[in-house]
Amino acid sequence: MNIFKLLLILSVFFVNSLYAQKPYVEKELLNKITKKYKIFAKKRFAYLQKTLDKAEGGDDLQKLEAVNRFYNGVRYMSDKKVYGKSDYWATPWQFLGKDRGDCEDYVISKYFALIYLGVESKKLFFTYVRSSKFKAAHMVLTYFKTPRSEPLILDNNNRKIFPASKRKDLTPIYNFNGESLYRASKSGTGKKVKNKKAHKKWDELKLNMKRKII
Amino acid sequence: MTLFKQIALILSILLITILTTVLNLNFQSANESVQDRLYEDAKNTASSLSLSLGSANGDLSMMSTMINANFDSGNYHYISLVDVDDELLYERKSESEQLDVPKWFSSFVNIEAPVASANVSAGWSQVGILNVQSDVTYAYRQLYTILKDLLVSFSIIAVVGLIILNVLLVAILKPLKEVQRQAEAVIRNEFIIQESIPYTKEFRDVVLGMNNMVSKVKAMFDKGNKELQRQKELEYIDKTTKLRNRKYLIDKLPEYLKVDATSKGGTNMMIALSGVIEANEALGHRKVDELFNDIAEIFREQTEDFENVIIARMNGTEFSILIPDCQSMHGLMIAETILTSSQFVIKKYGLESSETFISIGLYEYNYTESIGVLLSHSDNALAQAKFKDWNIHLAKADEMVEVMGKDAWRTILLDVIKRNNFTFVSWSVVNAQTKKVIHNVLSLNLKIDEDTTYYFGQFMAPANQVGLSDDIYNNVLDMMFKTPDDSLENGTYSLRLPYEYLIKGETYDRMKALFSVYALTLPFRLIVEIPDKLASQNSELVQDYKRLFERYQIDMGIFEFIGESKDYQYLQDLRPVYIKGEPSYFISQNEQSLSALRLITDSLGISLIATGVMTMETLEQLEEKDIHIVQGRVTEMIEIEV
Repeated sequence: MNIFKLLLILSVFFVNSLYAQKPYVEKELLNKITKKYKIFAKKRFAYLQKTLDKAEGGDDLQKLEAVNRFYNGVRYMSDKKVYGKSDYWATPWQFLGKDRGDCEDYVISKYFALIYLGVESKKLFFTYVRSSKFKAAHMVLTYFKTPRSEPLILDNNNRKIFPASKRKDLTPIYNFNGESLYRASKSGTGKKVKNKKAHKKWDELKLNMKRKII
Repeated sequence: MTLFKQIALILSILLITILTTVLNLNFQSANESVQDRLYEDAKNTASSLSLSLGSANGDLSMMSTMINANFDSGNYHYISLVDVDDELLYERKSESEQLDVPKWFSSFVNIEAPVASANVSAGWSQVGILNVQSDVTYAYRQLYTILKDLLVSFSIIAVVGLIILNVLLVAILKPLKEVQRQAEAVIRNEFIIQESIPYTKEFRDVVLGMNNMVSKVKAMFDKGNKELQRQKELEYIDKTTKLRNRKYLIDKLPEYLKVDATSKGGTNMMIALSGVIEANEALGHRKVDELFNDIAEIFREQTEDFENVIIARMNGTEFSILIPDCQSMHGLMIAETILTSSQFVIKKYGLESSETFISIGLYEYNYTESIGVLLSHSDNALAQAKFKDWNIHLAKADEMVEVMGKDAWRTILLDVIKRNNFTFVSWSVVNAQTKKVIHNVLSLNLKIDEDTTYYFGQFMAPANQVGLSDDIYNNVLDMMFKTPDDSLENGTYSLRLPYEYLIKGETYDRMKALFSVYALTLPFRLIVEIPDKLASQNSELVQDYKRLFERYQIDMGIFEFIGESKDYQYLQDLRPVYIKGEPSYFISQNEQSLSALRLITDSLGISLIATGVMTMETLEQLEEKDIHIVQGRVTEMIEIEV
């Protein structure tokens, strides 16, 4: 192998490493999660990373499938039991670290995993629904391919992804997308206004994520 | 600027800065709080309205109506609905921008109402995004009210704070005021001991230190005072008879023999007791001393009706009785009584009047004579008396050859007083050691015309005789204060005023009125010299003069000092800048006496000045006694360093 070939290989390796996707959970944070939730948590996060890595090259639908499948494997448990609070929006690290959570926690984790995979945030909505099956308030993640298209429903109760029209058991109440609200409030009047708020729970969650609450 | 003012200023600035900062922070916080409130209100509206809009199933007319209903019923600046493609579907905007606050406030305070947004959906479909912005008018009004309340509260706090600060500072710095008062007293050579010792350590140390220092200086003064009193007794008093001695007479005579003397003349008696040796042999020393005492008592009794009499024992057997304002005939009567009474006493002691007797020589002097002339004429009269059967002889001074009669002088003086024809002349008082002029002594010349000028010594005696001396001094003071001589500017000048002038109440009132108008604009530093005879009385009038002079920054000097006082406390009370005495007084002082005087004057910061020093020889004698400041003709012989 001459020097030219060697340099070529090294430069390709260098460029690849530059453009390689960062891990979903950074090493430092993963160490902390491992320290707190022990080795099985680390394995769960490793499996998540493997799932995400595998889905990375696919289209949105494949990404949705992979993420939905992975997170629907987590056990459902109410916030009261997990966090001692009636309603708490857990960070994806808390959700997978504890390996349990309620409907909002599934939605949140799925949302951020899809954002990691490159799905546009404007296509993803947190949707408050009423479940006629459980006769209870529920939340699902909805995917709009276009703003006017029928959304796909990512639900933790029904493991499969269906178009909204197929989910007769769910009655939509309210859609929201935190990122779009940020953008809207900034451009609502055409003036620049000081605002970093969109939705109370969403804002709290963003803060917790910034603080790397695990 | 005083320490009090500096601390008060710094603390006031600090207090106001803190209050202003707190006020600003409070206002900022209120501003943020109001803006937060605006957002919360907008957010609540956005959330609830977006849910309501969801029920319209995308019907724009229905949604517009809902938006209108909300907009009209609340305080909103703006509500808009945009679709999923960011296209505006509907909006309402407040048309009135009028704020219910002053313009300066709205330009000073910038309130930005945040925009709250909420997604609007119809079923599973997205409709768009609802934006809500509250109206800031109410917020401005609320903030303006908050600012007014804050300003009022902080103004009250600032005023109360400054008052408390002032009270505290006064309380804390009160000892400092006392320290300052004591320090100023030290500068004025006053001895103030501060009784209340401050609590603050630094002040306490200063006060204790100053008390200690003042106590030491006071002790020094007291020691000097006592020592000088003791020395005076030894120096001026005859131990046996307790009469004055020759030295006292010599030191005191200049006061009687001067152009502006109180008395224009009188009688001086020289009395000699003959046969003392025989009396001693017959009676013994002790008995003879008793005899002397009895005779001295006769002298006192016979002259008690006269003022300013000096009865002095000149030596073992001779006495002198100086009686001012005593005519020769009256003197003869006194002498005869003394002679008769003395003979009676001598007989009482069982002595032979042919062996032991007294002789009295009377000399009618006038104030223009010198001490030497007076004493030699008195001695001559005594010598004559000894040869007379009756042992009394009267001699009179030669009749003065007057240049002008009294009436002529009166006319001239009245005219001069009327026309203000006096001119000031001055001569220097010089420190022979440093060769520097200490101050200048003012005197007067009387200018009749271009060719005729009379000096103070020439016209003051006739002025005294015709009773115009007070008018002259009044005229001099008027001249000095009302039309000050420009050539005197920035110098230090002394003006000597006689006892008879100062002792009058009218003089004080006149000076007070004059000083109150003109003293502060006097272009030179003035020292008023008062005679020791007046100063040593330390009377209420003297104290009044002292206070008057102090009030107008006029210094006080003392002249004709011979240290005859029984107590020198008056020097401490009056604190003159200097004491002037005859060279003979200083030269004749023994070492103890002079050092006692020095102890007093040094503790009070008083200079000693010898007046009428004529020769370098006298100056040398004075310098040996550590007297370096002199006045008189000798100053012309000293080369002054400029």
